[in-house]
Amino acid sequence: MIQEPILSVHNLTVRFGTGRKAFEAVSGVSFDLFEGETLSLVGESGSGKTTIGRAIMRVHPVSTGSIRYRGQEIAAAVGTKDEKLLRQKIQMIFQDPMASLNERAKIDYIVSEGLYNFRLFASEKERRARVENALLEVGLLPEFASRFPHEFSGGQRQRIGIARALVMEPEIIIADEPISALDVSIRAQVINVLNRLKRDKSLSYLFIAHDLSVVRFISDRIAVIHRGHLVELAQAEELFSRPLHPYTRALLSAIPVPDPDAEHNRSLIVYDPSMHRYDSDPPAWSEAYPGHYVLANPAELTTWVANATPEPALSP
Amino acid sequence: MKRTVTALPYPARPEDVEAALFVPAPFDAEESERTGYSRYSYWRSTVRTFLKSRSSIVLLVLMISFSVFAFAYPLVSNTDPNEVSLELSDWNKRPGPGAGIFGTDGLGRDIWARTWYGTRTSLTLGLVIALFDVGLGMFMGALWGYVRGIDRVMTEIYNVLTNIPRTVVLVLLSYILQPGFWTIVIAMSSTGWISIARFIRNKVLTIRDAEYNVASRCLGTPLSRIITMNILPFLVSIVIMETALTIPYTIGVEVFLGFIGLGLPVKEVSLGNLINLGKNNFMLYPYQLTAPTVVLAVVTISFYIVGNKFADASDPRNHV
Repeated sequence: MIQEPILSVHNLTVRFGTGRKAFEAVSGVSFDLFEGETLSLVGESGSGKTTIGRAIMRVHPVSTGSIRYRGQEIAAAVGTKDEKLLRQKIQMIFQDPMASLNERAKIDYIVSEGLYNFRLFASEKERRARVENALLEVGLLPEFASRFPHEFSGGQRQRIGIARALVMEPEIIIADEPISALDVSIRAQVINVLNRLKRDKSLSYLFIAHDLSVVRFISDRIAVIHRGHLVELAQAEELFSRPLHPYTRALLSAIPVPDPDAEHNRSLIVYDPSMHRYDSDPPAWSEAYPGHYVLANPAELTTWVANATPEPALSP
Repeated sequence: MKRTVTALPYPARPEDVEAALFVPAPFDAEESERTGYSRYSYWRSTVRTFLKSRSSIVLLVLMISFSVFAFAYPLVSNTDPNEVSLELSDWNKRPGPGAGIFGTDGLGRDIWARTWYGTRTSLTLGLVIALFDVGLGMFMGALWGYVRGIDRVMTEIYNVLTNIPRTVVLVLLSYILQPGFWTIVIAMSSTGWISIARFIRNKVLTIRDAEYNVASRCLGTPLSRIITMNILPFLVSIVIMETALTIPYTIGVEVFLGFIGLGLPVKEVSLGNLINLGKNNFMLYPYQLTAPTVVLAVVTISFYIVGNKFADASDPRNHV
């Protein structure tokens, strides 16, 4: 099935600072996000996952490269009319529900902030109705609109954050580690809401995370990022059953197994970037199997593919 | 919900315990979302926290009654504070019957009346300057903290303005312009706003990159609303404190300027001029200095402490 991507990131580079202090947080990242798909970006802290999300939201300026929404370039400045459309269609959910809501504003204002910005309602009554709907959709009660953020639990606050994104009727939601700040017992709350919304509204998610067991549960495709470089991208099950890049293998080996015997014998793989010989033989973004991409030079690609036996999934 | 627990035979059988004590409750997803509702209101909690302290109530009452009396005095009294007596016997009368509550000064003017007229002038001056200082300081500070581009320029302006001693600016401006009410306002506000702006800027820097501000930017919220909805509400306590501290400080500066003879014109009644005159006669008629000084002390101290207490109360962390 050939499909136009709804969001296409090509050769994205984000640099902070200038001159000798310059730091490249994201270098040459490319991926496509298709309609109704969940693409996960996984990687360690500081690998540039959040920066990619914020570059797409146009909070961080893009140094080079392009970001296209339905074929339209959005990395550079856009007109007022497109600005309005983009701010509506691409929404973000934030990591820390304790920090991402304005403590001095009522839920009513927090959820309708975007509606106010672009006058997306005809009457006060319509605005209220839309806020109530958004709250109901994330499983909250409409009467919460008159309260302040500090009156809610972490899971409820995160769902208020989702309602704030949802009220704009977006097509793409960038979820920046939406559950990593939550208690384990309420992560399911938020994941279930996200999954139901995806089904009901055919949303596309760019899911930024570092918790691989959650990522496997919700993703269609997974992209692994390491120090600003995309190292591997594949279908979720494909990546879990046939990881090629040593960094991916190291990540997967770190997942705890809920079986005491297996957990006892689990061997950790440690990734050492100095194993690459990229000075003499630079790596390229190459397709190892259909739809399974990896960052490797030709020599590495042959060894990795030769060593990768299609093994059964790590955990049933 | 009250439930009577029937006495169980001992040792109790498991099935009896279950039937008597535990009733399976149906799960209601909507009900599980319901949380306690505190009906929290920011201003009500602020007032309640403020009123908890008895000393702040006393000082608040003192502050309000002195201010109200100073402004209402002309309505309740016909005494002209500038009325000079040519009778020698009316001069320098000590407080007592026939001489007014605070006595008279070297020209036979009633010091009680002059003190309240003076307090009124000084309070007005303090309020006007606080309004200019805090208003301008808040606006510029919010902009300075939020817009990265102007940071260097503003920092240089700050360096220049704060490195000139304030007294020199005040003295120079009093010489250049005609001494008067607005001269002092200009002299005080032209340098006063920048330190408030800097204070606010530091505060804004710490909350500018908070996630909820990034969220607002992602929603395309215009800068004006980010400042009014996301930033200023967090600065309320600072603003109140700055205002409350600027008023007594300004009154103090006015007194100082009056004291060195550069304040308001001598014909105008102000606390500074009163204290300046009282100083000259202090050895012979100490009451001419002490009377206005006591009023000055009560006004400035009550403003200062009430301001500080209210700033503490307006910090939501103290709203327990």
